[in-house]
Amino acid sequence: MTGPLLSVEGLSKTFEIGGGFLKPPKRARAVDGVSFGIERGGTFGLVGESGSGKTTVGRMLLRLIEPDEGRILFDGIDVRALASGELRALRRRVQIVFQDPFGSLDPRVRVGDAIAAPIRLHALRPAGRVRERVAELLDLVGLAPYHAGRYPHEFSGGQRQRVAIARALGVEPELIVLDEPVSALDVSIQAQVVNLLAELRSRLGVSYLFISHDMAVVRHLATNVGVMYAGRLVETAPAAALFADPRHPYTRMLLAASPSPVPRPRAERAGLAGEPPSPFGTEQGCPFASRCPHAIEPCRTARPPLDAYRAEDHRAACIRAAELAPARPLSDDEALMSERYRHRMTLLREARQDGARPLKPASAT
Amino acid sequence: MSTAPLLDVRNLRVVFGAGPNVADGVDLSLGAGEMLCLVGESGSGKSVTALSLMRLLAPAAKLEADALRFEGHDLLALPEAGMVALRGNRIAMVFQEPMTSLNPVMRVGDQIIEALTLHRDLSRAEAWAQTVAMLRRVQIPAPEERMRVYPHQLSGGMRQRVMIAMALVCRPSLLIADEPTTALDVTIQSQVLGLIDELRAELGTAVLFITHNLAVVAEIADQVAVMYAGRIVERASKADLFGDPMHPYTLALFAATPRAGDVGRPLAAIEGQVPAPSMMPTGCRFSPRCPFAVERCRQEYPPLREFSAGHWAACWRAPIEECVA
Repeated sequence: MTGPLLSVEGLSKTFEIGGGFLKPPKRARAVDGVSFGIERGGTFGLVGESGSGKTTVGRMLLRLIEPDEGRILFDGIDVRALASGELRALRRRVQIVFQDPFGSLDPRVRVGDAIAAPIRLHALRPAGRVRERVAELLDLVGLAPYHAGRYPHEFSGGQRQRVAIARALGVEPELIVLDEPVSALDVSIQAQVVNLLAELRSRLGVSYLFISHDMAVVRHLATNVGVMYAGRLVETAPAAALFADPRHPYTRMLLAASPSPVPRPRAERAGLAGEPPSPFGTEQGCPFASRCPHAIEPCRTARPPLDAYRAEDHRAACIRAAELAPARPLSDDEALMSERYRHRMTLLREARQDGARPLKPASAT
Repeated sequence: MSTAPLLDVRNLRVVFGAGPNVADGVDLSLGAGEMLCLVGESGSGKSVTALSLMRLLAPAAKLEADALRFEGHDLLALPEAGMVALRGNRIAMVFQEPMTSLNPVMRVGDQIIEALTLHRDLSRAEAWAQTVAMLRRVQIPAPEERMRVYPHQLSGGMRQRVMIAMALVCRPSLLIADEPTTALDVTIQSQVLGLIDELRAELGTAVLFITHNLAVVAEIADQVAVMYAGRIVERASKADLFGDPMHPYTLALFAATPRAGDVGRPLAAIEGQVPAPSMMPTGCRFSPRCPFAVERCRQEYPPLREFSAGHWAACWRAPIEECVA
C-alpha cells in the first residue's frame, strides 16, 4: 500500500462576519483542528448537525474555501501549496456533488453538454469521442443516451442527482466529495442512488467523503465515520465500531434522535435539549457540555482532545467516554418487526429475483 | 362513535386541465385530536390533497368530491369569504420550508399578531400577550425578545417553531403539517415532532401530518394512509400498518428504508418511478413496478378492501402469501 489517498491534519477555518469602522468583526470558528484520512476505495462518513462545519471541511478539500491552517495531502500532494494551474489538475482527481440537484445544474444547458463540459475542459477525449463518452456515463448511472438532449427541468430529483454524479465521474476522479447527496430524495429514490454509489465504488474503485446528517445512510455506506460538533471531530471510528458502541454522548444523542422505522413507546423517545452551539462561542470547556447529560465539572473547564478516549481506531473527545454504559444502537433491525412483516419481506425479495416462484392467478374476490 | 368526524372527505378528486386525476377517489376521516399520517413520495398527490382541504389549489385545478365536510361546513359549497374565515382560524397549515412561508421583512411577533387579529377582535396589548404566550408554549427561549427579530435571525428549528406558533395561535381544530420536519436536523426534528404531539394532546388539535418518511410515521402516527399516484392504497392504524403491511407498495417502501441488516448488501430500491400524471397506467397504478402484478392488476383498478377491522388495502393480490405458489 502507498498510504491513504487523502490525509487531513489540523484543518481549521475561521470566518469573519460583520464589523465596520472601529468595530471589530465577529469571528466564527467553523472548523477547528480537524484530522482524518481516507483509504483508497474507502468511504469516510462525516456526520453532524447544520453548522457543525462538515460542509466547510468538504469544500476545503477542493479549495473551494481556503483553509486558514492545517495540511491536506492528496495522494502525497500538498493541496494547500498548489498554484492555480495545478489546482485544476487536482480538481480533475477530486470532484464534488452537492445536495441540491436543482441548484447545481444550469437550467439552460442540456444535460449532455453539462456532462461533456468537464471532459472537454480537461481534454480527456478527442472532440469527436466526447458524445460517446457522455452516453457511456449516462449508462453507468442508469440513464439512457437520449437523456443527453434534455434539460434539467425534465428530470426528477433522483435523475438529476444521477446526472450530477455522471458529470463528476466524467473526469475519472479518485475521490468524490458527496455533500448530502440523498437528503432531498424520497426513500425509494434514495435507495436507488445509495445503491448506485456503492456499485460505482466497487466497480471503479473511487473513494468518497460522504457528508450527511442521516445516520442510517451513513451506516450503510461508510467504512469509517467522523462525528463533528461545533467545528471539531468529537468521535472517529470504523463504521461498525461506531454504530455498535458509540462512545461520545453527542454521537449517542444523534442516534437517539434518529427516527426509527420500528414503532417504539413514547417513553423511549429521546428527550433532547438545546440547540447546536453558536460558532461565536469562546467557552473554555467541552462545547457539548451544556447539552450533555453526563457533564461533570472538569468538562466545563478544559476542552478534551479527540484521543481523550482511545481503543484501537476508535477515538472520542470525551473524558467520560470509557465509563459510559453501552448505548442503544439504531433500533431498526428487521428482527424487531412482526413475523408477518418479515415473512412478506422475504416474499417481496424472492419475487424481485429472477426465476421467482410462479404467481397464482388473481382470485375472483 | 355516533358523532360526525371533524373532517370527512369522500371520493376527493383533483384534476388539472384534461389530464387524469392527480388525487383520485381520496377518502379521509379525522376525529377531534387524532393524528393521521399521509405517507407518499413526490408525485403521490399528498400535498395536492392537503391543499384542496384548504381550497388553496391553483385556479387551473378542478376540485370535486362526494363529501368535503369540516366542523359541519360543506367546504365545496362554502363561499370564499367563509373559507377565509376558516383558514388560519379553524384549519391551519405548516409547510416544509419556513423561510419561504414567513415574511422576511416583517418582525416575527407582528406576523403572528397579524394572523391572530385577522380572526380575533383583540387589542394590540392582548394580542401581544397571547403571541408571547404561544411562543413560550412552542419552547422558544426569551419569547419577548424574539417577538422583535426578523425570520433570518432565527435558526431553521426556531423558524419552524414560529410557524407552528402562528398556525396554532387561533387554536384551530385541525392542523395540516406538510413535511414540517424534512428540512431539519434529526435532533431538531425530534424536538419538533415531540412538540406537535404535546400540543395536540394539550389543545385537542387534530393533525394531518404529511411525510414520505416511514420512520417519522413510526414515531408519531395514530392512523396512517399510504398514497401512491393520487390514490390511497392502504389505510390502517399504525400498529396494523407496521405489523401487518398489506399493499405491495407499502412493503416496497418499508424494504427501501435502510436498516442495520442491510449493511453490505444493496438496498431494496423500487425500480422505475412514480408515473407522471400524463402517463398513468390503467388498472392498478403501481402494477408496472409490482413484482406480484398479474393481468387483472393491469386491467382493473382494485378498490379498497377491508382485511381486518379498520385495515384497508387496494390490491387484488393482498395478502401476498396467498398469491405465491
